[in-house]
Amino acid sequence: MVVQDNKSNSYASRRQSNIVDDFDDRSSDMCPICKTDKYLSPNMNFLINPECYHRICESCVDRIFSLGPAPCPYANCGKILRKNKFKQQIFDNLSIEREIDIRKKVGAIYNKTEEDFSDLKEYNKYLEIIEDIIFKLNNGIDRDQTEMELYTYEQEHKLEILEKNITESQKNADAQKYKEAMERLRQEKLRFEREHEIEDLEYQQKQQQELLDTLTNSNSTISAEEIIKQQQSNALKRASLRKKQLQQVNTQLEQKFNPVYQQKLLEQQLAISRMPFTPFQGDRDLNKLYKLLPIPNEIDKLMDIENHISDSYNDPYLNKLAKNKEYLGAGWRLTTVYERALDEAFIGLGCIIEQEKRQTTAV
Amino acid sequence: MATEVANAVSNGISSEVKSPVQSKYSKDKKVGEGTYAVVYLGNQISTKRKIAIKEIKTGLFKDGLDMSAIREVKYLQELKHPNVIELIDVFSTSNNLNLVLEFLPCDLEVLIKDTSIVFKSSDIKSWLLMTLRGVHHCHRNFILHRDLKPNNLLLAPDGQLKIADFGLARSLGNPNEELSSNVVTRWYRAPELLFGAKHYTVAVDIWSVGIIFAELMLRTPYLPGKDDIDQLDVTFRALGTPTDQIWPNVSNLPQYNALKIYPPPSRQELRNRFSAATDNALDLLILMTQMDPSRRCDSTQALLHEFFTEAPRATDPKDLPKKKEKKPVNEGNDNSNAKRRKV
Repeated sequence: MVVQDNKSNSYASRRQSNIVDDFDDRSSDMCPICKTDKYLSPNMNFLINPECYHRICESCVDRIFSLGPAPCPYANCGKILRKNKFKQQIFDNLSIEREIDIRKKVGAIYNKTEEDFSDLKEYNKYLEIIEDIIFKLNNGIDRDQTEMELYTYEQEHKLEILEKNITESQKNADAQKYKEAMERLRQEKLRFEREHEIEDLEYQQKQQQELLDTLTNSNSTISAEEIIKQQQSNALKRASLRKKQLQQVNTQLEQKFNPVYQQKLLEQQLAISRMPFTPFQGDRDLNKLYKLLPIPNEIDKLMDIENHISDSYNDPYLNKLAKNKEYLGAGWRLTTVYERALDEAFIGLGCIIEQEKRQTTAV
Repeated sequence: MATEVANAVSNGISSEVKSPVQSKYSKDKKVGEGTYAVVYLGNQISTKRKIAIKEIKTGLFKDGLDMSAIREVKYLQELKHPNVIELIDVFSTSNNLNLVLEFLPCDLEVLIKDTSIVFKSSDIKSWLLMTLRGVHHCHRNFILHRDLKPNNLLLAPDGQLKIADFGLARSLGNPNEELSSNVVTRWYRAPELLFGAKHYTVAVDIWSVGIIFAELMLRTPYLPGKDDIDQLDVTFRALGTPTDQIWPNVSNLPQYNALKIYPPPSRQELRNRFSAATDNALDLLILMTQMDPSRRCDSTQALLHEFFTEAPRATDPKDLPKKKEKKPVNEGNDNSNAKRRKV
């Protein structure tokens, strides 16, 4: 409500005569809180808060709201404002500023685009709903109710909104990238063509010089016409060669910069990545022919084995080593010793050399 | 016999009589010389395949052949894997031993040092993947390489990375056997080796791979110690000083000393150091450079790490960056173009 009062005030002042205009400008350049004047301190900035749209100068905002939310210093306002919501005013007319803010807020929630709808009619309906909400909020008609509706819509469609946001930003980034790449491609091509032109020019000059030289030094056996003819055919040959070269370079550049080509490259890479990754290249013996019994690593558990009959290996000699702290400190472990002994014992079993030989000869 | 002699003459190497094995290969040109060996470039005559012949010098040592040559033959004979250099043949002449190896024109160190080449993260992934596959193959055959460094990771013309130089390799011996801790080039030496451990495990190789991984990302050696003491200092400054808490029993190692206590780096510090690394890359790096060898991941765990499955995928070996040798060819083309223009 306060906002509207403010608006009608400003309208009223504008309707007054030109004489007052001068004063009005002055007053709009003065902070009503600290009475600092733009005329005297040209560096001052005005900020507004979308809660109530009262203009307050930057230093006042810093002073009043630094310690946390505080009520608006305007008399009769008293709305609780937060420092982080303050922003620079973009439009001179506050009602427009406010409408834009509302539009942004609603647009962030109702963020579907035309492609989300099956036909134009439904899309238009959707736009109509948005406009209704904006109008209501802007003009204070059923404000609380519309705000509640907006809130519930946001809660219900949270995921959808987020998804839409992500796809939208991706699209923008893609478009940006495409544009940049195409621009680079164009520039590369231009640069190359320019280089070519310069080279051509130099070549022509040189040719002419050579022609003159040969003509002046020529002995009478070859006629001047023939020399010129030869020169011309040479130039022709060169031109066709150049054309070919240009084409080649163009395609090369396309491949390098054109996103469509790069897309293809990416797809190729994808095809590779679809191949399963094998850390051992299939060369790993997973089915050991034996099962290792549990082997203790702590010294006191070793004593257990020695004193009782248990489900583990008992080699007094190795047990003695396993208690040596120097061995343990160097990473020596009883488990690896037994593992190795068993590995070596079983390593050849299950390999049938005759069979393997036959396979290799078959290949 | 006559043909063999003819071969020898036509090759122009020497007129000494060749053994039947020797005549299968040609020695064309000397490409390098080390302390123990001279390397020649050659061809397998039957297939025209390019090969490298490593001629081991003898007579330098009183007690016969050099250890590293024997090791190289012993372990390379056993290993056949796309990411391990192939030992094609071995033959001996009157007074020396010759190893016929596949010819690999480039190594990873050359690429790391060539600042004109840009490494993509997928390239680094591909190299690491191939290194780990090769290391995995060695480890499942219970062979420790013990000298992994970019210089020993050779690159085939088709982009495949191959682990080479098995001069320090050995198989895990008896459980109580003492291994020398004076192995691995200093910058790639695991902390347990720096502490003089004699019963270390395959984890020393994983450490080296981790440091190589870091070097690939940084394009400069990760832990360049000036000497053995400095190496400890540099290592701990980068990764924190190990204590008995984070590495049980570390103080029992023969040469353990916590010269200066550095705190382990926070993840943020590592992230700043490896600014281009993804979280998974950092995870894998941290796993491979665990101080405690029993906590360090093994090659299987490393290969199964998410780093290799996350995007971008490892580059196909044939698309990996290569040493730039094409330049002269291009220039040749340009020249011919220029000539054509002048005509």
